[in-house]
Amino acid sequence: MASPRYSLLRTLIPFDIYGGMKLTGKYFGKVLRQANRGPKRTHVVVEYPEVAVTLQPRFRGRLQMIKDEQGEIKCVCCLACEKICPTQVITIEKGKKEGRKTPFPLQYDFEMERCIFCEFCVESCGFDSIILNHQFELAGYDREDFSHGMEGQFQNMFSITPVGHYSVASED
Amino acid sequence: MTPTLIQYLVISLLQIVAVLGFVMTLVPLLTFAERKVIGYVQVRLGATRVAGGLWGAQRGRTHQSRTITGGLNGFMWWLGKWPVISILRGLPMFIADALKLLTKEDIVPTDADKAVFVLSPALAMVAAFTVFAAISFSPGALFYFPAKFPFLGGLPFNGFLTDINVGLLFILGVASVGVYGIVLGAWASNSKYPLLGGLRSAAQIVSYEVPLTLSLLVPVVLTGSLNFNEMSTRMAADVPVNGLVGIGRSLLMFVGFFVYTTCGFAETNRTPFDLAEAENELVAGFHTEYSGMKFSFFFLSEYASMITVSALASAFFLGGHYLLPFGLQPAWNHFFQHSPYAILAWTCTPSILWFLLKIFFLLFVFLWVRATLPRYRYDQLMNVGWKFLIPYTLVMFVIAALLRYAA
Repeated sequence: MASPRYSLLRTLIPFDIYGGMKLTGKYFGKVLRQANRGPKRTHVVVEYPEVAVTLQPRFRGRLQMIKDEQGEIKCVCCLACEKICPTQVITIEKGKKEGRKTPFPLQYDFEMERCIFCEFCVESCGFDSIILNHQFELAGYDREDFSHGMEGQFQNMFSITPVGHYSVASED
Repeated sequence: MTPTLIQYLVISLLQIVAVLGFVMTLVPLLTFAERKVIGYVQVRLGATRVAGGLWGAQRGRTHQSRTITGGLNGFMWWLGKWPVISILRGLPMFIADALKLLTKEDIVPTDADKAVFVLSPALAMVAAFTVFAAISFSPGALFYFPAKFPFLGGLPFNGFLTDINVGLLFILGVASVGVYGIVLGAWASNSKYPLLGGLRSAAQIVSYEVPLTLSLLVPVVLTGSLNFNEMSTRMAADVPVNGLVGIGRSLLMFVGFFVYTTCGFAETNRTPFDLAEAENELVAGFHTEYSGMKFSFFFLSEYASMITVSALASAFFLGGHYLLPFGLQPAWNHFFQHSPYAILAWTCTPSILWFLLKIFFLLFVFLWVRATLPRYRYDQLMNVGWKFLIPYTLVMFVIAALLRYAA
């Protein structure tokens, strides 16, 4: 490409500038021609609060407990996650429930302000009963917003975060 | 009907207001266009919404809150569905930009030379705007005031402010005064980065003044005039004596256009020649210490001189008020002048529309180039100017003289 034979010619007639202008012009035309929220987007940015962001499958968001088909919590209180947690943010209170053979967590407290999102708890869980979900809008209005618990508490890990209420895309 | 002195003054004032209004609205629109064009080229979207809660607290999604900005954002969100016009999203941004520049604190550094510090932005701006006195947007009268119009009935409203015999000389002379604003402002800031930026800018503008003027000598030689109207009309629509001269003329105008535009980029301190504002070396260049309205004066003058360069290039090389560029209009006229279709016959007549379209296209090219080309190194800049552009323009000048001799 950069042959010295044609270097004078390339200086006198700027082919390279033409090539660059053609490339950028092509991208300009592409983005201009397409509807900005069409099914196939040319542009690489996402209009974030209005349009939902697609995350990588391995993204590690907030801790969440998984329920089985009957709506029962799968956790059996083996305390593996509590033991392996490097910052000790998980506290489980073991209990019994009517009509259930395995132990049932009465309290499953998760202090997110200290969590480092390392996913050790999920890896250590032998029953696939917890995951780190795809919520990333984890800001809170006060300290209480970071203490998550079971359903029925002020902040529980099954609902979306207080900030998340404002950003999920719906219409169109 | 010749106007009286008072009528003449009133019409001149109206024309000045029209031209200034045109430039002053185009400049903020250009800043908006810059955001959008560069965004689109880089496969982004640019500005798509305006921030803040004007009249009422902003809460919730930006396009659903019940405030003025929320309503605007809602409209722009709706606009985003449509392919081409969605580039207009973020248009209120230019009002926000202007408001921000007007309301910012105006800081004068303690050790600055206060008089020169205040004077230099005005100098740059006056130079950039005075040029429009000699630029003609339309060769004749734009329209005539209707006969019943009070005081001004039946008088023409011209598309130009003045019809100077040496218009081009005036433009070049006044435009190069602008560099004094830059250098004096840089010196008066009493700070090293502005000083270096100002010196660079001075050296650059002085070097590129030579090829710029030489490349403008080509139309001067070809038309034998310095009058803006006469030059632009004759460059566009002069019927060549024979075919060979015509072809040579068109080729010369084609090359001359690129050479002139290159020099124009350097004259206006735009990328790829914006060494005066090289952020990684000089913070912000000559206007590092400027803020508020003083900064926006420099800003305005830069964009106004962009418009000047575009206007000159489109008048002398791109066919001015006629449709076709590079002196191809006579051939077009030959075939379509007496065409039965009114629209084809209309394309043979001069119109301000073509001129404005060409200016807008060239301004787009300014932004396009900024999004494409990286900045030159300083020695490369000087090499391009002295070793290539000046010989290029000298050769062009000789060819132009030969063509003039043949005609």
